[in-house]
Amino acid sequence: MGGKVTCTLGEVKNRADLIVYWGGNPAECHPRHFTKYTLTQKGKFIPKGRKDRTMILVDIRETPSAKAADIFLQVRPNKDFEMLSILRALIKGQRVHAERVAETGLTLEQLTDFAERMKKARFGVLFFGMGLSMTRGKHMNSAALLSLAAELNAFTKFVAMPMRGHGNVTGGDVIMRWTTGYPFGVNLSRGYPRFNPGEFSTVDLLLRGDNDAALILGADPGATMPQPAIDHLARIPTIVLDPKVTHTSRLSRVHITTAATGISAPGTVYRMDEIPLPLRPPLKSPYPTDEEVVRRIYKAVAKKPMWLPPEEPAAKG
Amino acid sequence: MNATTLTLKESPTVPLEAECLSPDVIAPLRHDAIAALPVFLGKHQHRLDDFFAVEGDGGDEMVIRGDVGRVKWIGRGMTCGKITVVGHAGMHLGAYMKGGTIEVSGNAGDWVGAEMTGGTIHIHGDAGGQLGAAYRGSLAGMKGGIILVEGSAGMEIGMRMKRGILAVKGPVRDFAGLQMKGGSLFLLGGAELRTGAWMIRGTIVCGKPIPLLPTFSHACDYSPTFLRLYDRRLQERGFSLPHRLGEGDYRRYSGDSAVPGKGELLIWQPSAGVPR
Repeated sequence: MGGKVTCTLGEVKNRADLIVYWGGNPAECHPRHFTKYTLTQKGKFIPKGRKDRTMILVDIRETPSAKAADIFLQVRPNKDFEMLSILRALIKGQRVHAERVAETGLTLEQLTDFAERMKKARFGVLFFGMGLSMTRGKHMNSAALLSLAAELNAFTKFVAMPMRGHGNVTGGDVIMRWTTGYPFGVNLSRGYPRFNPGEFSTVDLLLRGDNDAALILGADPGATMPQPAIDHLARIPTIVLDPKVTHTSRLSRVHITTAATGISAPGTVYRMDEIPLPLRPPLKSPYPTDEEVVRRIYKAVAKKPMWLPPEEPAAKG
Repeated sequence: MNATTLTLKESPTVPLEAECLSPDVIAPLRHDAIAALPVFLGKHQHRLDDFFAVEGDGGDEMVIRGDVGRVKWIGRGMTCGKITVVGHAGMHLGAYMKGGTIEVSGNAGDWVGAEMTGGTIHIHGDAGGQLGAAYRGSLAGMKGGIILVEGSAGMEIGMRMKRGILAVKGPVRDFAGLQMKGGSLFLLGGAELRTGAWMIRGTIVCGKPIPLLPTFSHACDYSPTFLRLYDRRLQERGFSLPHRLGEGDYRRYSGDSAVPGKGELLIWQPSAGVPR
């Protein structure tokens, strides 16, 4: 299993002749994606723009994005992993029985054509959304797609990119990666970073009730997480930093209103291809920025006595 | 010699990391030194006797009483001796262990016997996910030893396992034997979806019909001789494989052709009362 083979959206615009969207609805969720980067733009090596590109959409239902697609493949719900496995087998020339393909809701001909198109492309991109990464199989669905992209590089240039949802989640991942070496699910309690999604990832920690305090920054778990996790957030001291009062603020002990980054506070946002973009605020805000608040909390915490116990020379040796 | 007995005073509010709870650490120590062993509650270091009542001096055998479901890393890297947990055990039980025995009367958490190379772990209740698995980013999971589970188990058991035996009596969840590289996985109570996904080598034996990935293909129906040997060894520990001639045979599937791999999936097919 390899990592993510990726590129920037500028490269997609200038080079990509095969665009695959998997488990996402960019027409409604990323409305400028088609026109700015992936479909209609003319690129350096894509002189005719839309006519030079092929767009394939894989989803469980026909969304408005299907109108923009050249080929729409309707996969049965929760069969993405199976479909990706078949594609991985097909691109390697392995035989797959037609009757075993039927469970994905597609035919072997459709998948063979898809595999051939991917192998023949000059520069292919796989964009995948929450329809893939948040359905049964979760991280393994994403891993299957990323492996497919990596393996296609034996034939042609192929990259994969997640269609990120909320504001600046990519930024969170990128910063965690260059500070700790891991993108998420990092535990620093022993003084060094340890990575174990499932053990240290937020939702699992909350579901098991493994933490006894929470600081929520620019997120609203109270609206998105499963009920037992929300109940735990209500039980423990929860602090929320947000420009507005969220669902999480209502169950927290403390809500600190901060200036909205990009509107009334400066900052850096990472685009979904991990390009950092500086933000210049057009307005002023009476509230402090997130950074200011966290720095002040940190200063107050640093005044507390050291937590390490004093050395016990007698116990050693 | 009596076993060292540790009794949990009260369940910690957040998980307690106690990798010192291993016969290798405890055996050479006197009672006072055991009581002073470091454990970690969050980032705070505490003494072992802040959480456990310690009885007896160190020895090869230790008994842990109380619900230690929030105590992680029990028996980490142990090479010998025996740990008996009377109650539930927490995550990473017997991770990296090389030898010895761990017995749990209740349930166990995730990552039991992760990357172990030897020894035996016997769980009488249910186990969590990632039994005998490889840690994230690591190439190989368990490379030896035996894990036995009387109850059910979670996701991704035997992930990237290379050698050893893993047997589960109850049902297991998705992705059993994910990316398996070798070893034997016995799923006597069946499994949910995507068993053996991306397996390269190794054997998964299933006592019940399971949904298969489309990238597995039917090879043959037969009754493998080697399963009798496994059955004999597992019966000593109270596990039995269906293998008798006339009662049915195994349907062998090979895969996963997505990788492509040469793993085998043996699924028991009871015959319809007609002895062959």
